[in-house]
Amino acid sequence: MTYFPDGMIPPPVSLDTAPFWDAAKEHRLVLQRCSTCERFQHPPGPVCHRCRGSNLAWRDVEGRGTVYTYTWVHKAFVPALQKQLPYAVAVIELPGAEKTRFVSNVVEVTPDTLTVGLPVELVWDDYAELSVPRFKPV
Amino acid sequence: MNATIVGIGETRYTKWGGISDQSEFSLACEAILKALDDAGLTADDVDGLASFAGDRNEAILVAQALGIPELRFADMVWLPGGGGAPASVGHAALAIESKRAEVVVAYRSLCQGQFVRFGAGPEQVWPKVERGFLVARDLVEAEFGWMVPYGVYNATTGMAMIVRRHMHLYGTTTEQMGLVAVQTRAHANRNPRAVMHGRPMTLEDHASSPMVADPLRRFDCCLESDGAAAVVVTTTERARNAKSKPVELLGYEEAVGPRYGYAGFANHNMPEEDYTTGGGTRVASRLWESTGVNPSDVDVAQIYDHYTGMVLIAFEDFAFCERGEGGPFAEDGSLPFNTAGGSLSEAYVHGLNHVVEGVRQLRGESTSQVDGAELCLVTGAAGVPGSALLLGRTR
Ligand SMILES: [Zn+2]
Repeated sequence: MTYFPDGMIPPPVSLDTAPFWDAAKEHRLVLQRCSTCERFQHPPGPVCHRCRGSNLAWRDVEGRGTVYTYTWVHKAFVPALQKQLPYAVAVIELPGAEKTRFVSNVVEVTPDTLTVGLPVELVWDDYAELSVPRFKPV
Repeated sequence: MNATIVGIGETRYTKWGGISDQSEFSLACEAILKALDDAGLTADDVDGLASFAGDRNEAILVAQALGIPELRFADMVWLPGGGGAPASVGHAALAIESKRAEVVVAYRSLCQGQFVRFGAGPEQVWPKVERGFLVARDLVEAEFGWMVPYGVYNATTGMAMIVRRHMHLYGTTTEQMGLVAVQTRAHANRNPRAVMHGRPMTLEDHASSPMVADPLRRFDCCLESDGAAAVVVTTTERARNAKSKPVELLGYEEAVGPRYGYAGFANHNMPEEDYTTGGGTRVASRLWESTGVNPSDVDVAQIYDHYTGMVLIAFEDFAFCERGEGGPFAEDGSLPFNTAGGSLSEAYVHGLNHVVEGVRQLRGESTSQVDGAELCLVTGAAGVPGSALLLGRTR
């Protein structure tokens, strides 16, 4: 499936964030983790914000979480999304990554079924050159 | 502080794209000159300029345009969007206290319609694409990379999620947010400068306005407008000769908490205890401590109102009420706020107009004047790193 139509804006990335999207092409959800502190951090950065070391790695994360908060977007800020309205954007808490929060879409939900605390799981949304992680109810 | 506000200036305010006969840069110059005239000063007196993140009008070029003889202080506060307006005035005061400058003008000009609009299309916004990604041109664009693929292009969607969480935890209601919108609009209807002057709003109008990002409706969101504002700060000594009535700067604070970053605008990984604050609790506690003022002593407030729900949260951050009680506090209605109409109904100038209105209140010149107002709080945006000023009537 492609959840958003062609013409959506791809993610702007930097050298510090590109590894996330390279892994996504292989359908791997990864987050940055400090090998010294053994803790995740998101967004990623050049150093660990706790120990300030640079012993950082990208670690695979289990694609299961719960909805921490959400919104339904009713306005197309990009014309291509007009047909998609409304769509759900959520902050998803990932218990497999120390409750790191990850912003994404929740698909296959309605205003009646999308609630704070809803258990969700990862689905990959493939485009020509890009795979985008989204979530659906478990 | 040994720094006093002696001048305020504003251009006309219009809706987004309303000003096409005058450049954004020209509006910046106009507001600065008006503020200087208000103070009884000229550009020859200016030796400092200050603005805050997002300003396209570089101080060096403003100085060139205005013929400022010697610019000894030029400052850009690193607080994004509406977070930094109070801090730009605060930095002006710091420059004056440290004797780096004697007359500093803080300014903001905004005519977004004269520039590329965010979300206009990838080819306009980001020219370089590699391997299916856009190459971020700066760190902030890379931060937005955590939101853009999900159809999140602006603050509204991010702040909606903070407000939704606040509703979930504390039972905050749409009607309480509507009260903020309606009270602010009523002020705008007494203010002929306001973009929404002559456009009354009821709670029913608010509740039936189109949903933008649930729970935020159109009337929960600030305007987008064209216009500019400026504020002149000088030494307490020089202020005694000002043409206008000086207003005291009693305190100024800015603060960014741990892992806050662009917070609700980007990755939402601020600490749990900060999630449904606006991030302003540190600014607030330092301001009340440094000035010795209690929130209940404040006569009138100008609270940055990009979104109604964030105003309720700011009431809590600044300790006007307990955490979670921002909605009931708005129902109580004991604190007059945003007396010119704010960003919701006067104009969206990233909050420098809030400082201008604070000054007006303490001069006794507001169109919604609070009788005997002696203390006015002015805050920057909640939900992004912010700042605040406490202004006092000169005795
Ligand atoms: Zn570490």
